[in-house]
Amino acid sequence: MKFDHILIRYGELTLKTKNRKMFVNALRDRMMKALKQYDVQIKANRDRAYIVLNEEDPHEIIDKLTNISGILSMSPVVRLAKTDEAMKETALKFANEIEAGHTFKIEVKRADKQYHLDTYGVQQLLGNHVFENTSHLTVNVKNPDYKILAEIRPDAIYMYYETIKGLGGLPLGTGGKALLMLSGGIDSPVAGIDIMRRGVEIEAIHFHSPPYTSPQATDKVKALVDIMSERTGYDIKLHIVPFTELQTTLYDRIPDNLSMTSTRRIMLRIAEKLTKKIGGEAVVNGENLGQVASQTLTSMYAINEVTTLPVLRPLLTLEKNDIVKMAKKMGTYETSILPFEDCCTIFKPKAPKTKPSLESVKKFEDVVDFEPMIEKAMENIEVYMPSKKEKIEDDFSDLL
Amino acid sequence: MIYFDNAATTAPYKEALGTYITVSEKYFYNTASIHQSGKDAAKLLEAARAQILDLMGLKTYDLVFTASATESNNIAIQSMLRRKKQFGSTILTSELEHPSIVNVLEAMKKDGFTVKYINTNEDGTVNLDHLKSLLDSDVVFVTVMALNNIIGSIQPIEEIIRMLKDYPKVHFHVDATQAIGKTDLNYNGVDTISISAHKFNGVKGIGGLFIRDLATMRPIQYGGGHEYNVRSGTVNLPGAVSMSKALRLTLGEAREVKERLSQFNEKIRTAVQDLEFIYLQPKAASYIVNMSFIGAKGEVVVNALSKRGIAVSTTSACASKLATLNETLLALNNEDKIIEGSIRISMGRHTTEDDVNKLITALREVYEELGDVLK
Repeated sequence: MKFDHILIRYGELTLKTKNRKMFVNALRDRMMKALKQYDVQIKANRDRAYIVLNEEDPHEIIDKLTNISGILSMSPVVRLAKTDEAMKETALKFANEIEAGHTFKIEVKRADKQYHLDTYGVQQLLGNHVFENTSHLTVNVKNPDYKILAEIRPDAIYMYYETIKGLGGLPLGTGGKALLMLSGGIDSPVAGIDIMRRGVEIEAIHFHSPPYTSPQATDKVKALVDIMSERTGYDIKLHIVPFTELQTTLYDRIPDNLSMTSTRRIMLRIAEKLTKKIGGEAVVNGENLGQVASQTLTSMYAINEVTTLPVLRPLLTLEKNDIVKMAKKMGTYETSILPFEDCCTIFKPKAPKTKPSLESVKKFEDVVDFEPMIEKAMENIEVYMPSKKEKIEDDFSDLL
Repeated sequence: MIYFDNAATTAPYKEALGTYITVSEKYFYNTASIHQSGKDAAKLLEAARAQILDLMGLKTYDLVFTASATESNNIAIQSMLRRKKQFGSTILTSELEHPSIVNVLEAMKKDGFTVKYINTNEDGTVNLDHLKSLLDSDVVFVTVMALNNIIGSIQPIEEIIRMLKDYPKVHFHVDATQAIGKTDLNYNGVDTISISAHKFNGVKGIGGLFIRDLATMRPIQYGGGHEYNVRSGTVNLPGAVSMSKALRLTLGEAREVKERLSQFNEKIRTAVQDLEFIYLQPKAASYIVNMSFIGAKGEVVVNALSKRGIAVSTTSACASKLATLNETLLALNNEDKIIEGSIRISMGRHTTEDDVNKLITALREVYEELGDVLK
């Protein structure tokens, strides 16, 4: 079957009465960005959107939209002239694509109350036509394997038999901005995309400590940002903070079993400064309660003390298995597991405290003046934008 | 020399050779080195890998670069069979396979595996009903080549994929060495697929193994862990990149070349049709014409043509030094004298109409020359 449109159903944004236009416009922008390589048009109406396919593959397009927030579900549809014949012909074509031995049902939504047949009439018409002209299917009204749907609307009739779930949530850009702490592991990209699903724009911060951390580790984080940007249709800006001086100072001056806590505190202090600088209102991380020493409740208490910003932890109570599944679905997993050391693993103490005492941490930190080093790190932040990525592949294009 | 032995090997594209030289000069680095130059080389390798996977329509697969299709076949068979032993010990294969499949399978027999051969239809394709009847719970491995190197028959790979969906423990391997650019087969669903660049106008010494589930593969030769720890040894980057280019160029002109060669194929067949002691194998892939000079030895015909400046082959070049009868032609129930007198004419992208005319003249001259021998 050749589909000519994709029907996009909106998520929660239909609940918004006053700001709906703003939400719809934000969603349209996101979809346009995610589909910029395709020759398609997007018609976003008040209550639903249509993508005009212009011969593009509907399932490829749908795949690009599965991580765009604000979309409840999507269906490849054919747009028909408003005649009984067109509907009958299409219903039969759909039926012939369904494998033998399955059950089906015709479902009709009649938004155009002027149409000459009523809902029941159209159901009868299409059901009988399919039933009489096929022998490989049986009807099951209560629990069919396939539903063939016809929506009769004022402008045209739309028919489809497949509905693919979208990400849900709210369109990006409608919920403020936050800074994501991106380590390069499995969890933080998932946390970032999850927060974006609620309409919050993010920028990302990553700490590197050359030469103790390799350029590959930074490349890996850039690659993660590339993937996240592609999947969300949003160009995520990455701030790479030089952390070597702070890291080595911490290593020298803070006892081994508390250095992890202090490291996290300093990182959060930098994150707070950067969040304010970029006009953000929260810090996001991939922490998961009890996963590692720095993510126990006591550690969170000791680390969180340096900031008054909300620290959002969308993965806080999830199972690791589920996080891995989400990472695989979002396409970040394979990159996350590449074996490059980040700054957390290089200076990892042998036995970090799972219950660090805030008092003793403060006592050791008080004798070192970290502030000038923090300022210096802030001044030397390197910024990476996925869209401005120098296309190394292009340099290779002559060779390939 | 007018070259009609493209099923044995092909002349590389100038562009593929250019890539090979440029990469050898500019990116001679080891792709496993962690300095910047090594990283650039690794990026180039990954770009080549991605392009090949994309061109083959196998984006969800992994690709391991090897030195040849023979190596790819060996890795697929030996690696999988070691793992599969606990699940069963029967291997099914067509009667048409290349020695780099058959001889590996025969060697695996001493590890307790049973090899069963799938019957061949008259047109040189595997008999699917027979395959179905051989599939029992002891079968762990099925291997069928995509396109036969002797007569060019194209195998029903997509049908076999569908059939094997009901047999999840079976590993399905396809040797696609001859098929690249010659067919539009969709390999999605095959577990492992072998290719070799020099068969599609790439350079020699580089091949590939496409793998559906990398986690199932084990190395058969140990070393530094290159290529996902499946094929150790410093990666042949110039070869890999050059293969990527050759594949792009091949697929880009595949349709045009196929149509041209199909006309040549008809022309050659028509030109020898009236000769009583020439037997033509059924037409399959457009680039191959397999014919027998009944009563003569294939080698004699090859020599007679060679003297006239034309290169063809008896059966397959890899096996032509062996004195045994060709297995593909045997599988097609050919009489011995047809097999003994057979030559393979295989065309390529460089073949011109003029070449074909000269070939036809030479074939007829040789036919006259052999005269009394033929019967």
